[in-house]
Amino acid sequence: MMRRWLLPLVVAAFTAFGVYQATLLATPYALMQVVMNKIGGGVAVNSFGFGEMATADNQPIVRPSPDLSYSVCVFDVSQGSVLLDIAPVPDHYWSVSIFDARTDVAAVRSDRDTGGKAARLALLKSPQQAPEGYEPVMLQHDRGIALIRILLANPAEYPAIDAIRRTSTCRSIIE
Amino acid sequence: MKSWQRYSLCIALGLVGGVVFTVHQVRSGLAEGAITNGAWTTGKSFGTADADALTRARVALGGLLALPAKEAMYFTARVDGAGKPLDGRCTYLVSGGKLDGRWWSVTLYEGVGWLVHNAANRWSIPAHAADQHENGLWSFTVSPDEQPGAWLPTGGVEAFDLTLRLYHPSAAMLADPAKGLLPTIQRQECQ
Repeated sequence: MMRRWLLPLVVAAFTAFGVYQATLLATPYALMQVVMNKIGGGVAVNSFGFGEMATADNQPIVRPSPDLSYSVCVFDVSQGSVLLDIAPVPDHYWSVSIFDARTDVAAVRSDRDTGGKAARLALLKSPQQAPEGYEPVMLQHDRGIALIRILLANPAEYPAIDAIRRTSTCRSIIE
Repeated sequence: MKSWQRYSLCIALGLVGGVVFTVHQVRSGLAEGAITNGAWTTGKSFGTADADALTRARVALGGLLALPAKEAMYFTARVDGAGKPLDGRCTYLVSGGKLDGRWWSVTLYEGVGWLVHNAANRWSIPAHAADQHENGLWSFTVSPDEQPGAWLPTGGVEAFDLTLRLYHPSAAMLADPAKGLLPTIQRQECQ
């Protein structure tokens, strides 16, 4: 009796392990795809969307920080490299981070890294080349998210910060 | 039972069991491999290619677009200093000294990480908003009811967690977050 079930149970164990590994590997891609569709829904690919401050009624992603202003560009380098020009915000923490389709961070540059100057990044896929004046960021996936975070010490600063961040650009260079 | 029926049944069990086990592992938090410091836990691989598949799946679910540790460290507390789960019907005193980084804030979330509706429309206490004391310490109160001084509302939810963001942490904190100075969470009265 038990012998007839032995091999099927071994097959069940291997199946469960395979499903476990496959689901784990697929989860980041699937969730990133959902987020790119959600936050990029109203904005063209390769251009920044400037979201409102996170509140209980405005939570585009889980665990948003209500102290940070978020600006998001859903990028796609399949047709050409994507250039990011990030405007500096004097005397404030700010950063731009590049997440690929697997949720890994391809690059982060903050005001500490740039010495308070603008960040100029070229998102690339081999064999694309960075134009002069842009720091190359080589990607393993075509799509991803560029995210600007700016710390607001005081909510009253928002109009001034909002005006500065809207001068940041995300644009594709078709090759 | 015929042979093909046994195999079909076991394969179906394997498929269901694999999915259930994955969901359990991903949703069970970052307990495995997490670094504990008092009531707080953190991981050091958020957002990096070094993260293993399980960590990456957990971060994708609970903290998508998180920064790597050298840029920001995320400490989460789901219990108070005595190990009791944080309850939105209770009042807590959160206090600490100078934290070893450039800037910090503490945000209150419910569930997998949602900001809580509350009458004050306040969801976090940044460093500059905490009550400062003469001895160099700071504090704020977490409570469902309005409190004097710096107050972080719970909205009266059944359970919540606190996330401490520490931006540009020091080299010492990065090297050994288990020994860095972090706030204490003291439970006071409950409704």
